[in-house]
Amino acid sequence: MPDTLTHPTVTAVTLDLTINGRRQRVQADPGARLLDVLRDGLMLTGAKEGCGAGECGTCSVFVDGKLIKSCLMPAAKAQGAEVETVEGLARTGDLTAVQKAFHKTGASQCGYCIPGMVMAATATLRDNPDADIEEIKERMGGNICRCTGYSKIFEAVEIARDVIAGRLPHTALDPEAVGNSFIGHNTRRLDAPSKVTGRLRYAGDMVMPGMLHMQVLRSPHAHAKIVSIDTTEAEAYPGVHCVLTCDDVPGEDGFGVFVEDQPVMARDKVRHVGEAVAAVAADSVRTAREAMALIRVEYDELPGLFDPEDALKSGAPVIHDYAADNVVKHIPVRKGDIAAGFSAADVILEESFSTQQVEHAYLEPEAGLAYVDHDGVVTVVSPSQNITHHRHMLSHIIAKPINKVRFIMSPVGGGFGGKEDMIYQGMLALAAMKTRRPVKLVFTREESFVASAKRHPSRTRCRMGLTKAGRITAVEFEMLSDGGAYGMSSEGVMRKAAILSCGPYEIENLKVDTKVVYTNNTPSGAFRTFGGMQAQFATESMMDMAAERLGMDPFEIRRVNMMRAGSLTHTQQKLASAAIDRVLDAAEGASGWEKGAPSVRGESRGDLDGPGTRRPCTLGARVRETATDRFRP
Amino acid sequence: MLYCDTYLQPATLREALELLRVAPEGSRVVAGATDLLPWARDGRGGDVQVPHLIDITRVDGFSGWRLEGERVRLNAGTVYQEFLEDPDLVRLLPNMPQCAAWFADDQIRRQATLIGNIVNASPAGDGLPPMLTLNATIEVARLDGDRVQTRSVPVEAFVTGPGRTLLQPGEIATAVTCDAVEGYGGSFQKVGLRRSLVISAVCCAALVKTDAKGRLVEDARLALGGVGPRPIRLRDIEEMLRGKELTRDLIAKVSLLPARHVASRSRVEYRRAVVQGFVGSAIEDALAALCVCGTHSTAKEAVDA
Repeated sequence: MPDTLTHPTVTAVTLDLTINGRRQRVQADPGARLLDVLRDGLMLTGAKEGCGAGECGTCSVFVDGKLIKSCLMPAAKAQGAEVETVEGLARTGDLTAVQKAFHKTGASQCGYCIPGMVMAATATLRDNPDADIEEIKERMGGNICRCTGYSKIFEAVEIARDVIAGRLPHTALDPEAVGNSFIGHNTRRLDAPSKVTGRLRYAGDMVMPGMLHMQVLRSPHAHAKIVSIDTTEAEAYPGVHCVLTCDDVPGEDGFGVFVEDQPVMARDKVRHVGEAVAAVAADSVRTAREAMALIRVEYDELPGLFDPEDALKSGAPVIHDYAADNVVKHIPVRKGDIAAGFSAADVILEESFSTQQVEHAYLEPEAGLAYVDHDGVVTVVSPSQNITHHRHMLSHIIAKPINKVRFIMSPVGGGFGGKEDMIYQGMLALAAMKTRRPVKLVFTREESFVASAKRHPSRTRCRMGLTKAGRITAVEFEMLSDGGAYGMSSEGVMRKAAILSCGPYEIENLKVDTKVVYTNNTPSGAFRTFGGMQAQFATESMMDMAAERLGMDPFEIRRVNMMRAGSLTHTQQKLASAAIDRVLDAAEGASGWEKGAPSVRGESRGDLDGPGTRRPCTLGARVRETATDRFRP
Repeated sequence: MLYCDTYLQPATLREALELLRVAPEGSRVVAGATDLLPWARDGRGGDVQVPHLIDITRVDGFSGWRLEGERVRLNAGTVYQEFLEDPDLVRLLPNMPQCAAWFADDQIRRQATLIGNIVNASPAGDGLPPMLTLNATIEVARLDGDRVQTRSVPVEAFVTGPGRTLLQPGEIATAVTCDAVEGYGGSFQKVGLRRSLVISAVCCAALVKTDAKGRLVEDARLALGGVGPRPIRLRDIEEMLRGKELTRDLIAKVSLLPARHVASRSRVEYRRAVVQGFVGSAIEDALAALCVCGTHSTAKEAVDA
């Protein structure tokens, strides 16, 4: 029995359950959740913990035939029940129609939501084998996916429904022929069977004999000096194997994608709420949490910076000593002569844009397992999106040669850039070295929110000069981004924002400045498009406003300015080819855009509500059906 | 994390009340328990120690419902999914199916009880506005010496504020009784950040009954949630509608009234705008629900005219 379940001070309850058709007797803490019993007690790790609060559906299982969220159910509540997990669906090895359909359509990407999705789809079709698409969507509304946009999942459920009902032949579940080329064909993912069955083990699903559990004490302050950390009581707490602080770092402490400005655990001061200050490795998660509560940290609060504009003011608090001006990176791009460009313009538009902080919210919270192997190699298993770089950084942090450091990339249950930063692997490695035991850490959803990097909040001021014909003569583009407390991927994000700033348009005269500064907000880092989205939001909005001002069709003004083969990019690279013309044609055709200046809005537009337009979201597919059935003559 | 020393599943109400009487301070009574574990997390309750959890879902007599004259008695074990799936409940409580469809998701609705939703008394509790329109009362039981005593309180009075009710220590809520309103059209409006699993920013429940010709309003009942510390019944509007012929003008006129009830601590202007639209939509959707049966087609047409 793993040691996560039963705490020494409580009396375990004995649960008699029928799990996937087999009678099982398990001991559990009276406060344990059904999810804990399944995962830790019975090693059925197909049910995942994406949020622990009933919001995501990665933990869905059947209890007495009803699909429920096992993170919300006290295990004792299920006493005597029949439980069916995702592992129970394809018990004989052959995938069910639902699982095959998920495989067929490519519904599984990162796969972390997929066991729950397969369960929700199965429940939907068991409850109503004829559910239409609206009812399918409604019944599966409790399960979240962050990769697919749901289309492939719904497509799979409809195929499975029709195969089960006999409206489609079983061959509808077979892979499509790819002929001589994979390009342009639907090819099945090799890893899908492991995901649709729940067999794939993510880092949080892994266990090793003698494994300890880590919990991390995090800063309640945005900016504060650490006066002292007293770990005496925590060290002495029964079941604790080690307590870590920055003093345990044997080598050169510091990691980051571009600038290694972040200590493994806060050193001398904390720079954002949620920053790791100390960590405990103990026999169980509960013991680790109880010990963590005994660590005494004395803080001396410092004035904080929460607005990037304030960070640039003279006399602003300094967050990192090496950057007295709080600037992480400034990327300037210059091309042509903007003064001449603006003087040649017939109209000049100027506007400001802002975008907000965004969390990646991958379904798999950060998790890792570290151990020191028989050859003394410090090994970290985690869903890192950058293991080679992490390995090099960890080598200097733990003062070991690179051949004594190993990173194993576990399946990434969604990353989107958010798992590029080595925010916890260092602590795990140190704990494994100190205890000589395997050590596991699994973030809670809340911890993932406070500790992981976010999309850079940005403010952009854009000035654009155009001729009456819509040709852009000059652009001045300034972006200020909030980098938060640490550098992480900020430099790269600013480079990308600068390179992509003015869009796929050939502009002879431009002045671009992207700048990112330190604040005491949650650090910003890599996130899909890596700065491109923030820049495009400004530039494409400017294009639409320019079209409206000039009375031009928005597709047309883009065609006037688009890059072509032979164009010089903003950074003056000559393009051998360009595809924006075809992109515009495709978008115009697909959208059914009513030609003309974008000055007519609302109900009088002819291109609203056309074929293929998504209906507004609503619920009640079953309510309407019930009402209709009830009064049907 | 949730720490609990003893998980109890009493088989009778008396046993449950006795367990509650001797339970150490901080113990809790749970039914579906779907609000318990999200509470025991960082940012809310944190790591919480609940000495005894008394799970009442296996108490004899707590499952099911029955018709008692003009009232429906919903026992404490009644879960939200029943309002969506039991055709008799759909008929008798016509605004509850829509409420259930918007409540959490299909999985949570199979565990979450109506009575737990009422006892939690969230200002945004989805079940509260429709219960107000159904003139619901909640029955609570306690031990008086060795005797089980019950008392009933209207739900409207029972909920006194955010998380606050008239439930006394030692009491367990045992049933909700509400009007059986077959023949009424029912509707439920809700807005939040997404469709499933969302806390209402505003919700609104309506029940409308017209005369046989579908022209005059015989009875209209409206209630709002999410706009203040507790749900409110809109009796002023109900009075204005009763006996009247429904027109767009009348609906537009009454829709303006409830904005003044918005007493939320945040997004007040947004909620006022939503409330205005919701009152109109709630009345129209309730009429539309009546029209489905084909006998009241004129009411909706009159509004649309």
